[in-house]
Amino acid sequence: MNLKISALEYVQQVQNGNISAEDFIAKTLEQINKVDKKLHAFLSINDDAINQARIIDKKIKSGDKVGSCFGMPISIKDNMCIKGSKTTCGSKMLENFIAPYDATVVSKLKQQDAIFIGKVNLDEFAMGLTTEFSAFGPSKNPWNPEFVPGGSSGGSAVSVSAFECSMSLGSDTGGSVRNPASFCSVVGYKPTYGLISRYGLISYANSIEQIGPLTRTVKDTAFMLNMISGLDPNDNTTINDKNGDYLSGIDLGIDGKKIGIIKDMMADGTDPAVLSATNDAIAKLEGLGAICEEISIDMVKYSVAAYYTITATEAGSNLARYDNIRYGYDFPVEGYEFNSYISKARKNFGPEVIRRMIIGGFVPSAGHAGKYFLKAMKVKSKLTKEIDAAFKKFDFLIAPTVPILPFKLGEKINDPVALFLIDINTVTANLTGKPAISIPFSISNGLPIGIQLFANSMNDKSLLQAAYALEQTVKLPEVPI
Amino acid sequence: MTKIGLEIHCQLTNLKSKLFCSCKANYREFKINENICPICMGLPGSLPRLNQEAVKKATLIAMALNCTTPNKIAFFRKNYFYPDLPKNFQITQLNIYGDTSIGGAGSIMVGDKKINITRIQLEEDPGRLIYEGSSTKNQITLVDYNRAGTPLVEIVTEPDFENPKHVREFLNILSDLLENLGVSDPSLDGAMRADANVSIEGGKKVEVKNIGSFHDLEKAVHFEITRQNSLHDRDIAIIQETRHWDDKRKITISSRSKEEDLDYRYFLEGDIPWITIDPEIQEKLKLEMPESVSSKKERYISKYNIPPQVADVLSSDKFYSELFDKSHTESNAKEIANIITTDLMGLVDTREKREESKITATHLRDLADSIQSEKISRISAKNALHEILKTGKSVADVISELDLGTVSNESELSEIIKDVITSEPEAVEQAKSNPQTINYLVGKIMQKTKGKADPKLSLDLLKKQLDDS
Amino acid sequence: MVTEEEIERVSKLMKIDVDDHKEYVDKVQSMINYFDILDSAGVESEEITMHEIPVSSLREDEYIPYNEKLIEKLNNYKGTYVRAPKMS
Repeated sequence: MNLKISALEYVQQVQNGNISAEDFIAKTLEQINKVDKKLHAFLSINDDAINQARIIDKKIKSGDKVGSCFGMPISIKDNMCIKGSKTTCGSKMLENFIAPYDATVVSKLKQQDAIFIGKVNLDEFAMGLTTEFSAFGPSKNPWNPEFVPGGSSGGSAVSVSAFECSMSLGSDTGGSVRNPASFCSVVGYKPTYGLISRYGLISYANSIEQIGPLTRTVKDTAFMLNMISGLDPNDNTTINDKNGDYLSGIDLGIDGKKIGIIKDMMADGTDPAVLSATNDAIAKLEGLGAICEEISIDMVKYSVAAYYTITATEAGSNLARYDNIRYGYDFPVEGYEFNSYISKARKNFGPEVIRRMIIGGFVPSAGHAGKYFLKAMKVKSKLTKEIDAAFKKFDFLIAPTVPILPFKLGEKINDPVALFLIDINTVTANLTGKPAISIPFSISNGLPIGIQLFANSMNDKSLLQAAYALEQTVKLPEVPI
Repeated sequence: MTKIGLEIHCQLTNLKSKLFCSCKANYREFKINENICPICMGLPGSLPRLNQEAVKKATLIAMALNCTTPNKIAFFRKNYFYPDLPKNFQITQLNIYGDTSIGGAGSIMVGDKKINITRIQLEEDPGRLIYEGSSTKNQITLVDYNRAGTPLVEIVTEPDFENPKHVREFLNILSDLLENLGVSDPSLDGAMRADANVSIEGGKKVEVKNIGSFHDLEKAVHFEITRQNSLHDRDIAIIQETRHWDDKRKITISSRSKEEDLDYRYFLEGDIPWITIDPEIQEKLKLEMPESVSSKKERYISKYNIPPQVADVLSSDKFYSELFDKSHTESNAKEIANIITTDLMGLVDTREKREESKITATHLRDLADSIQSEKISRISAKNALHEILKTGKSVADVISELDLGTVSNESELSEIIKDVITSEPEAVEQAKSNPQTINYLVGKIMQKTKGKADPKLSLDLLKKQLDDS
Repeated sequence: MVTEEEIERVSKLMKIDVDDHKEYVDKVQSMINYFDILDSAGVESEEITMHEIPVSSLREDEYIPYNEKLIEKLNNYKGTYVRAPKMS
């Protein structure tokens, strides 16, 4: 049985009776057994998966209505709640937290007969770019396990790339879906802000983050979007996408479309291999009839500082609830005074989270808010205006997803500012709420390079069309696992 | 000159659900921690769902206090750590990016003084704490989250009050106003709380918190003014600080100064978009607003000639003013107002009694008519009320069943008067010589007829019999 | 520019005990120093706005009991109240 098929191919095969859900799940579990000791994508595995698959096979056989997923294995980043399952956020603070309810995306996938094969690794509380900040050990890049898989949705990208699942859901606050997708050579999508409900996603920076799919093909992403997008009464920030069908017409092409090349995302510091791949992609898009032209977006150079200021502030607030009083780990309150108990309990946060919380307490504080936080919010406003202006001229924007190639584990972990700057190409989409996608484009010395496309708000459907067109221009080698 | 300002917190107890979730707004009937859900407990991954009716009711309050009401409102986070705060931040309102609170500057008259309102904001109530354990060593804090998330409207006033009595007057007016609007039942325990700030002689402002009731507020403010004056008289500077009211010792105590200043790091609540309230919706709310207490009082005085004291009592009671407005006509308004304020209010004085009472507008109308047409006397009317409240029977039925009809049969009355004259020879002699004292005999006639004797007829017949004798 | 004292003060504010001070101080200082770049963005006159929704799209006021005994699923449940450390 071949695991190396897309999600849509799986659905077809099951519908044709060529494979059963049970067999596929069993094979998937074997694969996980084989590779995950080394790659460490998973934090927990669903030991009831085979039973769940059997039930779905029964439904298929008896002609009952079956959901669109037909029992395919999906991995979920461990910052999304599955009822009755451990949800750790990659942190010791939530080591034993059992979610008492399902995230909306989880309920929707359950209704479509998806099987959650396991929860996957992430940088602690989604704060990081390499998955090295997980309290439970880093994940490794399947293309070369000495290298980082990207982050914070590293486990998602690895599990999809290494055929440990058919699709994954991650979360993208500043590039956390697109960055690991680029590093692991899979498709990573961040939708328009509000397209996918965040109910059940454990907040890091709630004003800009979104859940996003990681898949092996662009069509699979469209398939996932069809199932999980839309207005949710449980999330006041969701918007009505009028139930668009993201799959239909995905092969429309990009003839005559205008694409803006973001100069500021290809500046000094961009690896020559990445630059060359991007120019290649532009040439290919032109070959398909697109008209590509350079554009400069001035605020991009301030976007990383603005991003980290805003997200640290929100994180400091969103993580305040973890005081170990209502839930957490075993640490009795007797004998302690309130302030000293909480300060001690919160020592279970990892060092990167602590750094971000200190920043998050500093930049919005009285006396400093004007210089940092308010300025960052204003940069966000101006950046949005500049991007909106760009979309008056262009249908899409293009840039490399990450300015550099994947790097070795441990290489950048001690230089926080160097780490920040890796985000320079991705944070703009989050700050402005625009949809963006990373498409695997080339391999350089065995290391993946992804190309990023952006569209205006609510143009997710046409963005997927452009992404599909670009995807079809390349045939990539198989991941060497 | 003494200056007092208030920060009043009013729960919107008439709402069905909490501000951000569908748990019950009125938490009082629940067992500990049984009125909670993932949202009001701030569980990881939960998101707030703003209550539409809360926004509308808060807008009504702002309008009733003559405040500006913006077309766009926003919510902010106030970040601090406390066990009664499940998220360790409170979702509240501020005006740092323009006017985004539910109510802006407004005012209300208290007597002939204008009290300015600074702003009105919509926010969530925290949970409740109690303390267990006697010694400081084994003490534990116990938290009940049933109240967490209850919708609160905070009303901030300018320091326009000059003395505690003034404050009390305002709070009474405010309670009546809120009850009249139908947004809150101020009599519920904890439904209205207030903090005060006090300064004297243009000196530093002192905040006083932790005041349990409005009764205590008056005491706390009074104490604080006295304390500040005493310091001033001894030429000791008054420090700007926060003090809390110690209910046991009836004094204000300086709150322990913290080494870290309380820095709330306010920023926009990213989980709640800005809410637009169209001018049309605001207009509709205004039109649907119930008549204000002061307007009712005005109307009762000017239109129906009801005495100001009676009008005051009647207009500030929502239950009775509504009953009055349903039952009165131009001719019997004064009489009904009288029945309500003199007799009915005393008989039906608790919420339970009001809920159980069977009195209707028709009863009141019939009762007033019976009195005015002299079918029954006022004393009989009071007796009839008792029965009506219990059974709900019609006035006609009660009058006949209890035989309350005015005794106006001349011969029947004459007989009774003859008896009275015979049994009270001294009083009779007194009355003959000093006509003023005749009322004693009238009283006896009333007694004998259980208050049913027609007073005018009785007096006439009595006089005649006295003259004849 | 942020000083070591500031970092101490903020750690207390955020209720995080930072013992090995020097390590955090250096890294946090360099991170916050990077943010100085915001001063040259020239954005003083920008307005802060957000997505808007009409009041009519908000949740209806209805009491819907959460029918699972939530409190039993959380930590520190030993009867009825949630237990917290004593307040100073």
